[in-house]
Amino acid sequence: MKFILNYIRKETWSPYVAGVLLGLVAILAVLTSNILLGGSGAFENLAGMIGKALAPAAFDNMYFNFIMPPGLTTGVILMIGAFFGGMIGAATSKTLKWGKKDAANSDFQWKRIFGPQNWKRWLLAFVGAIILEYAAGIAGGCTSGLAISGGMLLAPAAFLFIAGMFASGIATALIIYRRRY
Amino acid sequence: MANSIMILVLGGLFGFSINKAGLTKYNKIVNVFRFTDMAVLKFMMTALAVGMSGMFILRGLGLVTFPNVPATYIVGNLIGGLIFGVGMALTGF
Repeated sequence: MKFILNYIRKETWSPYVAGVLLGLVAILAVLTSNILLGGSGAFENLAGMIGKALAPAAFDNMYFNFIMPPGLTTGVILMIGAFFGGMIGAATSKTLKWGKKDAANSDFQWKRIFGPQNWKRWLLAFVGAIILEYAAGIAGGCTSGLAISGGMLLAPAAFLFIAGMFASGIATALIIYRRRY
Repeated sequence: MANSIMILVLGGLFGFSINKAGLTKYNKIVNVFRFTDMAVLKFMMTALAVGMSGMFILRGLGLVTFPNVPATYIVGNLIGGLIFGVGMALTGF
């Protein structure tokens, strides 16, 4: 028991242990609520909700009416849970940076590559997130919703997605890091 | 309502496992693309293997019906993945 408690307090687990936990959670999700663990859909649901309120004409199309219906869907609830779950995870290892001085940009490797400015981190995170959401919309899911949950059901889409993701991820990292790769 | 709470708990465990694997950190995500830290790949593939065997055993026992499997449209999945990788390496999602 003490061993388990100490293990929970560790900052980084062995990826195999955490992977087993995620696999079990994904099975439980299908078993109890018949859903797949998806991260990207929630933001589209919320965007659809805001868009329908602000500019109903622009959002009255196929995509937001049928593929991604706006509103507080299971995906949104799941993401709220994931947010707090992540915070609890950080709190148990005492690495929660809420309100701390370097909370906005705490990654040493990021600072080494791009410089210490906070605005750079926020700008690039925003732009990158737009790219991520757009791509997830095209492919039909993100790393968790398509690659892990879809791959678990042996969907060919998941493996195509993983291949594409690693190919372009490696290329992008090569461009960003150049000689330091 | 009970279902919503269940989903909230599932989401919590999902976030917890991702945090503990270190996938909430920029350096972990980008280093898998530089081949210096393969934690992301280990994590993803372990989750896949556990999920796969679990799902297919449960289906074999007739305890579960699969939810709608993500649709396959080769060009869309591949191009989506290619764009996704760019964002992933930039942001550290």
